[in-house]
Amino acid sequence: MKGLRGHPKQMSRSTLLRYTSKIVLVGGAYYVAAILGLRLALIERNVTPLWPPTGIAVVAFIIFGWRVWPGVALAAFAVNMPISTNGLAAAATATGNTLAPIVAALLLVRVGFRKEIDRLQDALAIVFLGALLSMLISASVGAGTLVLSGAIPASKFPAAWAVWWTGDAMGVLVVAPFLLGLFQRPWSGSLRERTEAGVLLLLVATVSVLVMNTDLRLMFLVIPFLGWTAWRFQQRGAAPAALLAAGIASWAAAHGLGPFQQGTLLEKMITLQAFNATVAFSSLFFAALVTERTRAREALERAAAELEDRVGRRTADLSTANARLKHEIAERHDADRKLRQREGQLAEVQQQAQVGNWEWVIPEDRVSWSDEMYRIHGHLPKAFPLTFEKAVEQVEEEDAARIRANVQAALGRGRDHDLPPSEYRIVRADGAERVLLGKARLSVGSDGQPLRMIGTVKDITESKKAEREHRIAETLQRSLLPDRLPEIPGVMLAARYLPATSDIEVGGDWYDVVQLPNGTVGLAIGDVAGHGLRAASTMGQLRMALRAYALEEESPSQVVSRVRHLVRLLVPDIVTMIYLTFDPESGTLRFANAGHPPPLLVGWKGETSYLEGGLGPPLGATTHLGQDIEVAAHVDAGSTLLLFTDGLVERRGTSIRDGLTRLKTLAADRGEDLEALCDHLLGSMVTSQVSDDIALLALRQVPLAAEPLLLRLPAEPHVLAPLRHTVRRWLREIDADPRVADDVLIACGEACANAIQHAYGAKDGLFEVNLVLSDGTVEVTIRDLGSWRPSSGSGRAERRGGLGQRLMRELMDSVDVNSGPGGTVVRMRRSLQVGADRERTRAR
Amino acid sequence: MNELARVESEQHGSLCLVRVYGEIDMSNDREVLTAIEGAVARKTVRLVVDLTHTTYLDSAGLALLLRLAERIQARQQRLSVVVPVDSPVRRAFELTGLPSVIDLESRSEDAMNQTRPGYSNDQV
Repeated sequence: MKGLRGHPKQMSRSTLLRYTSKIVLVGGAYYVAAILGLRLALIERNVTPLWPPTGIAVVAFIIFGWRVWPGVALAAFAVNMPISTNGLAAAATATGNTLAPIVAALLLVRVGFRKEIDRLQDALAIVFLGALLSMLISASVGAGTLVLSGAIPASKFPAAWAVWWTGDAMGVLVVAPFLLGLFQRPWSGSLRERTEAGVLLLLVATVSVLVMNTDLRLMFLVIPFLGWTAWRFQQRGAAPAALLAAGIASWAAAHGLGPFQQGTLLEKMITLQAFNATVAFSSLFFAALVTERTRAREALERAAAELEDRVGRRTADLSTANARLKHEIAERHDADRKLRQREGQLAEVQQQAQVGNWEWVIPEDRVSWSDEMYRIHGHLPKAFPLTFEKAVEQVEEEDAARIRANVQAALGRGRDHDLPPSEYRIVRADGAERVLLGKARLSVGSDGQPLRMIGTVKDITESKKAEREHRIAETLQRSLLPDRLPEIPGVMLAARYLPATSDIEVGGDWYDVVQLPNGTVGLAIGDVAGHGLRAASTMGQLRMALRAYALEEESPSQVVSRVRHLVRLLVPDIVTMIYLTFDPESGTLRFANAGHPPPLLVGWKGETSYLEGGLGPPLGATTHLGQDIEVAAHVDAGSTLLLFTDGLVERRGTSIRDGLTRLKTLAADRGEDLEALCDHLLGSMVTSQVSDDIALLALRQVPLAAEPLLLRLPAEPHVLAPLRHTVRRWLREIDADPRVADDVLIACGEACANAIQHAYGAKDGLFEVNLVLSDGTVEVTIRDLGSWRPSSGSGRAERRGGLGQRLMRELMDSVDVNSGPGGTVVRMRRSLQVGADRERTRAR
Repeated sequence: MNELARVESEQHGSLCLVRVYGEIDMSNDREVLTAIEGAVARKTVRLVVDLTHTTYLDSAGLALLLRLAERIQARQQRLSVVVPVDSPVRRAFELTGLPSVIDLESRSEDAMNQTRPGYSNDQV
């Protein structure tokens, strides 16, 4: 009897007591219910349409297990004994009555019957297995015993069997649910619900009693109330209600009340059983359905809630995951962006620097280029895949051959190394020629096999061009600066030109010294704004124009005005300059300044002053065409004049005024040697780097007569005028009387003219002029290195020569001419005495 | 002009006055001669060369004047040269005996006022 609680093998005393009391309780209940049930008997006294003990027995077996069978069996026997024909029949009937509930309980437990009967399957189980099927046993045994014991004739067997079966089944259906309900947890309904339940039960009872006590067939009126009760309270309400209704109906049938007044026994029986079955089925199924529905709804709600909860949790999880994912995406994006940015920056840097890089995977002959490499070669980036040959396609034939040879040599060396940098030319598809500088490095494998070569290529076209331009400009500038300064006796000249080191461009600074036909010296210094070839060429043009104007115009302001006009018309640049003329004989300086730093005059005692007069605006700065002004100054013997461009006094971070002050201080310590002074000034003023070009021109007036005058001059007519200036000055410095000076000047001039005219003919050559003061007598010696040739015979030269000879002899005290293969020497003497004194001396 | 010598001229009817500023030597004698001859109009009867502002003149200048005198005379014109007494140029003239072939005046006014050929009175 698996499924029902089995008989314990050993029972304790208390357990035995409990067992016994259960048997007594079950037996007692069975017996009482049987007595009550018999009151409802329709046939004889032992066949009742509603047999409650069966329900009690089923419930007892379900609750306590099959071991309480003695209670049932004894009670059944006790009930049947008085109504059976003999003890054997009573025992047989009792056996049937015991066996049927046991089988019912067994089957119900077997199919998982729940005592709450809250599922449709529970209702079906109790109806079909617990009641209809199981009760076949008791009905068959009971009815058979009645026939066999002779209590009823065999012809009444079917009727007896049917009443027995339905009575037992109804006993189960009506009583069992009610009893099972009693064994459940106490009902926790509210007062209002309890009241409602009470009222409903009362209604069911009232309606049942009413319909049973009327002749009208209104038994069906009970059904709605049962349904209501089942709907409101399920089995808790339905079971008692059904018990009430069925009990009342059975009672009515037994007493022949209302609907049961007429008709045969069978008809009454059918009516009653149909009613009871309807009541039992309806309440059972309806309650079970409602419970199930409610539970389903609750389960659904719970599931929904759980689902909602789960969805909520899942949503939270998802949103967390989503947030994490978003964060990761953002990080990835950021990293991506940074990478792209860095790539972009690299590309940009390459583009700006015009540097590309490449890699050559040698075993596969696969070359990859950076974007800039493509641009350098005049292609769109990543325009095509490359091989080595494709990569050098644009390289000019000669250079390509050299590159191939270099690469072949490198591949054969079998070790990692850098290839020598190589400069080469390419011709782009559009014909543009570029100059590139390539660098490369070879990597080899462990076996010395070449693996790959990486390298960079820089487009140096522009810098090559700039370098070339720079060279041209520098050459141009150098060629435009005087390669040597004129030699002017009594005047020291020194010049410096320092190109900017920090800038690859040459500047437009220049200086010039012009020996003017009237014996004065023109000095110019200037600065064309800007650098490079243009500034240099502008400078060249201005220098030539200035020379031309200097020869034409006597006045420096006129010269500057004309240059200003020229600049306004032809030159797009701003130019500053100073032009000055210096008369060595008198020491007079006249100058005009177009926006240039002022010249610095340093006296022989070291006193310094800037010559700030004569200042006009820079050339090209304004359309001002007013007259340039001109001022004069005097340069004493021993004084130094410094002309310079702003590069000398301008420094980054200091004002030009500081520079001027510093120059003044430095120049005060002027020293003996003008060249040394220039070096000293440049060395002190210019620190590490020359940021701008510097031109410096220095002039110093030195005493002539301190020693004999010795000049070596080219044998050309134009040297005569400057020579006269020098001789005049020398004579003045030795305090010769003006009349004596005039005589010596003419005689000297004649001797020099002869040397120029005769000594070299058309050839270039030098001659020497030597003036010595000795014992109050001036001795003039003119020496040439040519052969004294007879005059060419032209009338003019002949006449001049004759006049000259005569003048020399008349003007001087003595004239000696010695001609030899090495040249001719003319030696002349003249006393400084004048008038009668001189006549006396001559006479001696 | 920033030249060694500069020539200016004035025409007074048939008289042409030429002033030479600066210095004359073998480097510019031809230019000066050309300039003087260029200044003489065709109608000129008398040419006065004023050397008052000439600061230097040597054999080349003297030869120039002799040549000028020859050309002027060949054209039936007369030449007078003005050299102040205290001029450094004057001694060269006198020492070479040029006054014997060229009219020499001390002042330009005297030379211009002369109506007939001959030496001026202030001749040394």
